Amino acid sequence: MSLVAEALVSQIAGKVPFIHVGNQVVSELGPIVQFVKAKGHSLSDGLDEVQKAEMKAYMELVNNMLLTAELYLQWCDDATVGEITHARYGSPYPWPLNHILAYQKQWEVKRKMKAIGWGNKTLDQVLEDVDQCCQALSQRLGTQPYFFNKQPTELDALVFGHLYTILTTQMTNDELSEKVKNYSNLLAFCRRIEQHYFGKGSSSIRLS
Amino acid sequence: MAAPLELSCWGGGWGLPSVHSDSLVVMAYAKFSGAPLKVNVIDNNWRGSRGDVPVLTTEDNTISQPAKILNFLRKQKYNADYELSAKQGADTLAYIALLEEKLLPAVLHTFWVESDNYFTVTKPWFASRMPFPLSLILPGRMSKGALNRILLTRGEPPFYHLREVEAQIYRDAKECLNLLSNRLGTSQFFFGDMPSTLDAYVFGFLAPLYKVRFPKVQLQEHLKQLSNLCRFCDDILNSYFRVSLGDLHVQKVKPRGPATTSVKFTVASSLYERLLALCQHLSPPHFPSALQYRSLFATRQ
Repeated sequence: MSLVAEALVSQIAGKVPFIHVGNQVVSELGPIVQFVKAKGHSLSDGLDEVQKAEMKAYMELVNNMLLTAELYLQWCDDATVGEITHARYGSPYPWPLNHILAYQKQWEVKRKMKAIGWGNKTLDQVLEDVDQCCQALSQRLGTQPYFFNKQPTELDALVFGHLYTILTTQMTNDELSEKVKNYSNLLAFCRRIEQHYFGKGSSSIRLS
Repeated sequence: MAAPLELSCWGGGWGLPSVHSDSLVVMAYAKFSGAPLKVNVIDNNWRGSRGDVPVLTTEDNTISQPAKILNFLRKQKYNADYELSAKQGADTLAYIALLEEKLLPAVLHTFWVESDNYFTVTKPWFASRMPFPLSLILPGRMSKGALNRILLTRGEPPFYHLREVEAQIYRDAKECLNLLSNRLGTSQFFFGDMPSTLDAYVFGFLAPLYKVRFPKVQLQEHLKQLSNLCRFCDDILNSYFRVSLGDLHVQKVKPRGPATTSVKFTVASSLYERLLALCQHLSPPHFPSALQYRSLFATRQ
């Protein structure tokens, strides 16, 4: 199921990933998983009802905490916004569109943060939330190779996508990736998937 | 002697100690962990519109938001989770995220956005607990806040359309309820025989949906079909929130205005209990329950 796993590497960018099948285009993780399931492939068929509930709950945890923290860091942390995000987001467009679209996106993200109660959070509080989330994932993973023992599921794909991006994307401060690196089983998990499914001889996850 | 802990929150109705999910989460957790909370039902409350209710006041601090209040209570050694394993603690976090992402938008919609429900039930209820002219302004603000939250988290920028997301949020909520029901199974609580943080959150989110009588009830109907979740709510209400003189402190603080005073009476407990039972029988379904009447009569010395 490397199709789903590969698609996740660029999930942060919004409507990407998408898959193109014949004359159909399906975007974002949820619909892609449903589409692939309709074609007869599913990673979570072997799970019982309680495990499926757990899997969905952990996927929401990742969306709730990790995704929101990534958005916060990209758009609400002034240092990162000024040095990286603004330029990167506006780069496909000519002046003045690049500035206008970047500011508009920043305003939208800030509105969303305020609506869900993250508007007044400091960077430290956000990093603490990320730490809590990683701790929960680490405890759930334990010493198993994947979250539901021997076979990877949608949850493994989602977690890999987020953690890999955090670990390999260069930001102005490395605190986010440092938080993840504190959990050795999560690091080992990412390396394992990278080497097994993406066939890289050596990992691109740096330790320091 | 421990510093008194006071919780300010929205009041109760329809057999619930509070109709507000966040307030109910904190009250349930306090019951489960044995924290001695003095509950102040607040009527005139600017904080409501800014999402600050419930608020815990101690001698030194003021804390808002259920997660922070629960953290504080744990630090004060009122911990409902001390018997849980590390994995169960992690599961708690995950299920709370599930509730907030999948169930909360539809609950907000049922209470605050669906016009029949909002105008016939929610708005009159909240407006009756606010002094004029706040009663004209605050409910609208709370409704707008709820709509904003739904659209910003589920809608597509830049033109957020409610119609596009309505069907999806109800589908997600029903799926979430099914998942919770599967996870609970036949157990009494989510982690064995003792209630924990997760039970408080699930109770807080489900009980208002279960008990408040609305005209438009699609999500409520779905919940009522999941008998183990209904049993879960009823068990907690009966075991921890049975209204009796010895249990709950409820002091109703009315706003200063032309015809209001704060009212406290003390009556003999047997006479009170009989009066309470009579009121519970008589109160019609769409009016707040006997908890309202109770607060007029009793306060613990």
